[in-house]
Amino acid sequence: MAKIGKTLLKLDNVTMKFGGVTALNGVNLEVKEGEILALIGPNGAGKTTVFNVITGVYKQTSGVVDFDGISLGDQKRYQVTALGVARTFQNIRLWGDMTALENVITATDVHKKSGLVGALFGFPRARREEEENREKAMEILRFIGIDEYSDRLAKNLPYGVQRRLEIARALGTSPKLVLLDEPAAGFNPAEKVELAATIKRVRDAGYTVLLIEHDMSLIMGISDRVVVLDFGTKIADDIPSVVQNDPRVIEAYLGVPADAS
Amino acid sequence: MFEVLIDQFWSLTLAGISLGFIYVLVSLGYTMVYGVLRMINFANSEIFMWGTFGTIITSRDIFGYTQTSAPATGGKLALVLISQLIMSMAVAGLTAIFVEYVAYRRLRAKGTNRLATLISAIGISIVLSELMRLLTDSRPVGSPRVLEKIILTEVWGANIRLDTIVTIFAAALIYFLLERFVQLSRMGKAIRAVSMNEDAAKLMGVNLNRVITTTFLVGGLATGAAAFFYITVFEYSKFNIGFTMGMAAFTAAVLGGIGNIRGAFYGGLFLGLLEVYASAVLGTQWKAVTVFIVLVLVLLFKPNGLFGEAVQTTRA
Amino acid sequence: MKIRNYWNLRDFGANLWENAGRPVRVAIVLGSILLVGLLPFMGGSILATPIAAFDAVLVYPVGMFVLMSLGLNIVVGKSGMLDLGYVAFFAIGAYTMAYLGTTTNLNTWEIMPIGIALAMIAGVLLGIPTLRLRGDYLAIVTLGFGEIVRLILLNSTWSKGPNGIANIPMPPDLGPLKFELKNQRVFFWVVMAMILLTIWMIRRLTVRRPGRAWEAIRQDEDAAELMGIHTLKYKIWSFTLGAAVGGAAGVLFASKNLYIAPEMFTLNVSILILACVVFGGIGNIWGVVIGAAILGYLPDRIRFISDARLLAFGLVLVVVMNFRPDGLLPRKKREKAIVKREANA
Ligand SMILES: Nc1ncnc2c1ncn2[C@@H]1O[C@H](COP(=O)(O)OP(=O)(O)OP(=O)(O)O)[C@@H](O)[C@H]1O
Ligand SMILES: [Mg+2]
Repeated sequence: MAKIGKTLLKLDNVTMKFGGVTALNGVNLEVKEGEILALIGPNGAGKTTVFNVITGVYKQTSGVVDFDGISLGDQKRYQVTALGVARTFQNIRLWGDMTALENVITATDVHKKSGLVGALFGFPRARREEEENREKAMEILRFIGIDEYSDRLAKNLPYGVQRRLEIARALGTSPKLVLLDEPAAGFNPAEKVELAATIKRVRDAGYTVLLIEHDMSLIMGISDRVVVLDFGTKIADDIPSVVQNDPRVIEAYLGVPADAS
Repeated sequence: MFEVLIDQFWSLTLAGISLGFIYVLVSLGYTMVYGVLRMINFANSEIFMWGTFGTIITSRDIFGYTQTSAPATGGKLALVLISQLIMSMAVAGLTAIFVEYVAYRRLRAKGTNRLATLISAIGISIVLSELMRLLTDSRPVGSPRVLEKIILTEVWGANIRLDTIVTIFAAALIYFLLERFVQLSRMGKAIRAVSMNEDAAKLMGVNLNRVITTTFLVGGLATGAAAFFYITVFEYSKFNIGFTMGMAAFTAAVLGGIGNIRGAFYGGLFLGLLEVYASAVLGTQWKAVTVFIVLVLVLLFKPNGLFGEAVQTTRA
Repeated sequence: MKIRNYWNLRDFGANLWENAGRPVRVAIVLGSILLVGLLPFMGGSILATPIAAFDAVLVYPVGMFVLMSLGLNIVVGKSGMLDLGYVAFFAIGAYTMAYLGTTTNLNTWEIMPIGIALAMIAGVLLGIPTLRLRGDYLAIVTLGFGEIVRLILLNSTWSKGPNGIANIPMPPDLGPLKFELKNQRVFFWVVMAMILLTIWMIRRLTVRRPGRAWEAIRQDEDAAELMGIHTLKYKIWSFTLGAAVGGAAGVLFASKNLYIAPEMFTLNVSILILACVVFGGIGNIWGVVIGAAILGYLPDRIRFISDARLLAFGLVLVVVMNFRPDGLLPRKKREKAIVKREANA
């Protein structure tokens, strides 16, 4: 198991309101370097909203999101990614008319220096970066185990491969922290086991993972810590075995008939 | 620079209000369709233009008025005006349904991207305006005067003219009726349900195609009524008058918060007044420029309009 | 993987290209350039146009339409933004040529960069505030912008208002090549060179980072931004490059027409160019070239269409979007060939 280090991401008393709906209510959350932190909670608890606030899709109503000493609230969305936070989407949002490889290459572009002029005149640096990115993207596909699909258009890929390509694309941006939004949604048990192994490998390769997932057994197997949200409020934050037996959690989450996915 | 504005303030205000009501009605054509489709009804400007010809044809070809005949009075006047209004609304309403059917429906069923629909709608508006250009030989067409522009009285140095008064009151009435229709009727409720949440409305058993067609129809009727008032005030039409009107009415809709029917009311009146005052100060040739600048400023700083609700939410 | 069994023009061309070795490719390119370059000598053939001289038709509308369509395609096709005010950049280029050409002794080639620069500046100025707007709002704002530029030209004294500017100088000779109005083949060759340059530029950019960014923005802008793409910057670039091509076309147009007036720069021009892009196949360079050439040429060849040219183009927009949204040559790439083709580009 990788060594768990200093705090990488910290949400301090974050509240997010949509009109009358309070999606997040004073949430405190810490993600430590090198860990897999699972974020769980019933449907509509505000899990995806946490991701949306971190990545700048929404600006929190109040509170602070701090990443590696930088307040993310002041950053543009693309800057958040450049700082080292990447995400996947609950409802897959790949670029369907690009190939799998191109999807990842496009993500690797974040850290490229050469711009439009370099591309136009084929400066050596631009050429070299093109080559490097292609190599790197291919390596990531191999790492996630979907390299055989590299030349297929994303929209024609099987569902499970699309989900994994989402992860590959996120890794393409060389993040420190990866946010995975229900990466196993719609998977059968065998696929889930495989995905759990993949997520572990991602962490062991040095990425920090914040994972939203409904499947308890998957979470219990791989996460170092579990945070439970209910109606926008954090009701538990501990190691899996403790959370699993927390009566509030059982009432809020497990007591409610969990959805089949 | 401001003398004209100060000298003629009240008559300008009156002109601004009557122009404003025309904008209110045309902007309904944008705002209602936007409400249900989340898409601009690009052809609304041409629906308006076709409506103006409905008005002209009624007085000229059905009732046989010419540029030299005497304006009508009494019962005949009411008959001609009402026929013109009905004809104008009918032509515009049918054109609107045609636009929906030809440019939007198929693409909606296929669920293709918005760019395709947008281009298709632009195509149909070009077709509509070019057809009229060919039919009228690119010439402006005058409308015989039916309603005499009598000066009723003078208040604070402003002439209160009959056509202005008719426009203001009749347009306000039509706006009111349409607004009630959307608020109270079954169909109106379905329209509002769809504009709030299309999926939920579908689950509740709303027939989406019928709602959308009706929305285009109602928007077209409002736009057609505006076309009638426009002709009563300005007395001529041309194949290309839609552009300026469309730009202004769209701006009015955005000002009021597009998708919001009450917003169209405030936005229309606001823009009507602003345009009249601005032309008095800057000269009429800069009218369109003023409108455009207003549009860009509103989109940039108050994209939800001065009176409206959110339109541009993104969800990830 | 779906295998299409209908005859696909795009794939046919791509196949031909991929299966050819380097010398064959060079031969194909040079051969086609030569063939197209010889077109002005075909005035006596079946291609002849009844009213205007064939070589003049080749320059305007055909060549100019192709050039402008390629420019607009960067904006509409590559990054998916609907720009309905494209004519404004054409007008800016043309008026730069007209004004500087008649008031200074700069010649066409010296004015060209100035015209391009001014068009690009206008693109940036319009782009920075408006490119944040989503699809249909952008369409309306650009539509308004095109009209505003025309109104400014119509109501300003330096532009001589509705009278327009006359006596614009022709380009100076290029060595032995003389520009003449009777025989416009040299103009045609210049337009051709500009088209080739534009194609080179687009191809370079599309297989590299900017092209990928545009493609990502077109397909899912939110996802693009969340994957670290500075979407506004790339949108402005796309808009500005489109503007540059439009401006260049405008400079040459003024210098060929010798007289320009605001009425030549109406919304209709934007629509015509949009129709060309859509007809050939949004986003596909070769589709755009062929589509624009056909739509530029046909109305001059067939009398009937030229009276109702705009009507026909409006119909093209509706029909193509509803029944063949990909146009003549679809943009969809074939899955297998991509990596190889990119490596070669
Ligand atoms: N853009 C928005 N506008 C209004 N309400 C929103 C918006 N986004 C989220 N919400 C609301 O915030 C609450 C939390 O939503 P969120 O998507 O974060 O839930 P979740 O925990 O991810 O649920 P699920 O397990 O279904 O994905 C919900 O009530 C939702 O309706
Ligand atoms: Mg969620």
